[in-house]
Amino acid sequence: MIQLVFFLFIGAALLSSLLFLSRRGGPRAEGDSGVLLEARGALDALQGGLLPDELVQRIFAKDDLDYLVSQEAPKSVRDLFVTERKKIALSWIGQVRSQISSLKHFHAVAARSYAKLGLRTEVELACQFAASLAACRALRLAIYVGGPYAAPRMVGATATAAARICAISEQSLGFLNPVQVKPLASNSLSS
Amino acid sequence: MFSSPKRMDVEQARQDLCRRTLSDIQRPLDRLIYLASMRDYNTGIYHHDGLASRFTEEVACEALADCHREAFRELVICPLDELVSQLDAYRSATHTGPREFLTAWGRLEPYRVAVPVQADPLAAEFLFSNFKIALAVLESQLDSHPAGLAA
Repeated sequence: MIQLVFFLFIGAALLSSLLFLSRRGGPRAEGDSGVLLEARGALDALQGGLLPDELVQRIFAKDDLDYLVSQEAPKSVRDLFVTERKKIALSWIGQVRSQISSLKHFHAVAARSYAKLGLRTEVELACQFAASLAACRALRLAIYVGGPYAAPRMVGATATAAARICAISEQSLGFLNPVQVKPLASNSLSS
Repeated sequence: MFSSPKRMDVEQARQDLCRRTLSDIQRPLDRLIYLASMRDYNTGIYHHDGLASRFTEEVACEALADCHREAFRELVICPLDELVSQLDAYRSATHTGPREFLTAWGRLEPYRVAVPVQADPLAAEFLFSNFKIALAVLESQLDSHPAGLAA
């Protein structure tokens, strides 16, 4: 009886491993292409629109508020300024978080089929994703409660962590970049 | 739409446009509005007869789009005090009365149609938000020092 239970247990374990492997096996062309495009879009949005230093610094720059104070702008104008900046800051965090989630999804579903990442890199990447998403949540809460200038260091840390994820994802998605074909040399035609 | 023209031609056309036309328009806000006015609202294609005659329609369109994006980028990263100055200088150049201008810009928000098509949505929202604040600053200045803003 014990032997029967043992073999049934082994059989169930093998069957579940087989099911698991078949689900995460080779790339499924249709689904994966969608994930790839989504990841490429997320990477472009982060690198091109959300993370450039000049924009991040501008959004969270305190000198604009200092200007209003120096101009003795009425309270209504200063309130409008803080409300608007808070709205933009929350929108920035929301978009960064959403794009990081897309990249995380890509790495969880498809990256290993295309990029040969080592186990150590995968673990590092998983930690980076977890830390970045946690930082986004914490920053969102800080700004929601304390306004756009509540956590300037966290803004920098979040942007840096997101940039690191972009750098690793760029390698994973490198095969999507157009191949740089060297122009044919004139002597290669004549030879 | 056009087939994409050669990058080198576009760069030449861009330099030509900067040298002949945009060098006379110093402020990024004025350049943004000027370049937005070169764009057909129905097709999104930019037109400039002089530039098209020296290059091609396609190359001129790309060069204008490049300059438009550049003006937009400059304005997005410009500090609030500069934006306020640019807005007031623009108003002054159009010979519109301050109250009339602030009312029209506050209600119509014409800056919303002046951004390039491919502008990053967050950057565009940020610029709109800054315009809103800059208009409020000018309005408060007008209320406190009516003679301060020249008609």
